[in-house]
Amino acid sequence: MLIEIVEILLKIVIILALPLGALPIIIHVERRGAAFMQKRLGPNRVGPFGLLQPLADVAKFMFKEEVHPTHVRDFFYTAAPLVALVVALLPLACIPIAAPIDAFGKTIYPEVFRSDMGIFFAFAASALGSYGILLAGWASNNKYSMLGALRACAQMVSYELSLSTSVVAMIFLYGTNDIHLIIKAQTGYWFGFLPMWGFFLQPVAALLFLVGIFAESNRLPFDLAEGESEIVAGYHLEYSSMKFALFFMAEYIHMIALSALFIIFFFGGYSLLPGMEIIANKSPILLVALQAISFITKIALMIWFFVWVRWTLPRFRYDQLMNLGWEKLLPLGIANLIVTVLFVYFRNP
Amino acid sequence: MEIASFAVFFVIACTLGAFLLGISSLLGQKRKIVRENDVYESGVNPVGSAIRQYDIKFYVTAILFLLFDVEIVFLLPWALAYGESSDKAFMISGFVFFMVILLVGYIFVINSKALKWEE
Repeated sequence: MLIEIVEILLKIVIILALPLGALPIIIHVERRGAAFMQKRLGPNRVGPFGLLQPLADVAKFMFKEEVHPTHVRDFFYTAAPLVALVVALLPLACIPIAAPIDAFGKTIYPEVFRSDMGIFFAFAASALGSYGILLAGWASNNKYSMLGALRACAQMVSYELSLSTSVVAMIFLYGTNDIHLIIKAQTGYWFGFLPMWGFFLQPVAALLFLVGIFAESNRLPFDLAEGESEIVAGYHLEYSSMKFALFFMAEYIHMIALSALFIIFFFGGYSLLPGMEIIANKSPILLVALQAISFITKIALMIWFFVWVRWTLPRFRYDQLMNLGWEKLLPLGIANLIVTVLFVYFRNP
Repeated sequence: MEIASFAVFFVIACTLGAFLLGISSLLGQKRKIVRENDVYESGVNPVGSAIRQYDIKFYVTAILFLLFDVEIVFLLPWALAYGESSDKAFMISGFVFFMVILLVGYIFVINSKALKWEE
């Protein structure tokens, strides 16, 4: 019993500490990456290479005056950042960072919430992200906030459709909803060199999923919810100090969670990066460490991709955004699903 | 056991958020400026309430999302059951029938311009 409690707490601490600890690094990479792409220096004064800048920001957030306007709906106004952060953390509970480990006479699963429906839970929890935003927009009692929240929600639900169709296609191909089995199906190589990643099986589904996670996490080119040139800052306009920081954290954690799901479906999750197999067989502990490193490396590359796209593509106009979601991506997703299903059926009826 | 560990995770996540919220209201500056309480509308005096009529398209989008998302959710158990079923032809005919209905509905929605946003 004691061992189990220690195991659970240890898993929870690791699962929470990894993304929260990575946040300052991600924010730093985002700022320096932006500066790098715009030929400026970016934050480089606080600490070596400006690495301590995000921590200085956290301290600043803590000591700032917390403006609590009188026109807001008090309870929901305070609850909204909390909802946004907790809901962003929830999907992480089902995401394993390594394969199950056999130790102490039993199998230890590296995820906090081990369930064969884990992948659906993760999607359900990440879809709840719109609640924090809608709550913030409505509770702020401000036209810009309300409009931003409505836009964000309409956008998130629209792109969730095409994202879901690609998930159906992938689950159909793998024939399972267990995350470990999905990753197992992607371990190994085709023709001896091409990793058996879902991306090579279903590039169209990967594209839909990728666009979907950009829209779900409200990142450029889909950050219509913020759209500073039209609605100032959208749903978090009336928020200040740490409340604002919680929305910021929630957005980045949401990005991490969605990237992890993308990698589980299309880039083999925690399966080893090509070339690592040679040293991984030495000991089971090394294998687990390498799996975690592979997974984190893939997520880091994904985050870099987010930054890269942010400074490459301009923002969509709202009607373009909705037309892209409903009239292009959704039919593409349905067509991809039908083609996949019929292909599998006629190849092996 | 799994539910218990999830409950602990949830409680810890909530506590973390509440702690962060609490720390800034505890440490933050206490000076109050009256103008801060105004609704922010780019520095202009606020006009009317924020709760007003917004575009009906948002509502239509939400309704249509519900319809299509439920249909896609129905496909998930189908996709899982396909591999285990012995009668593949039956599974496929059911799928095709379902998709035809979905497509008819989709074409109706697009033709009725329910989702056409003004440029």
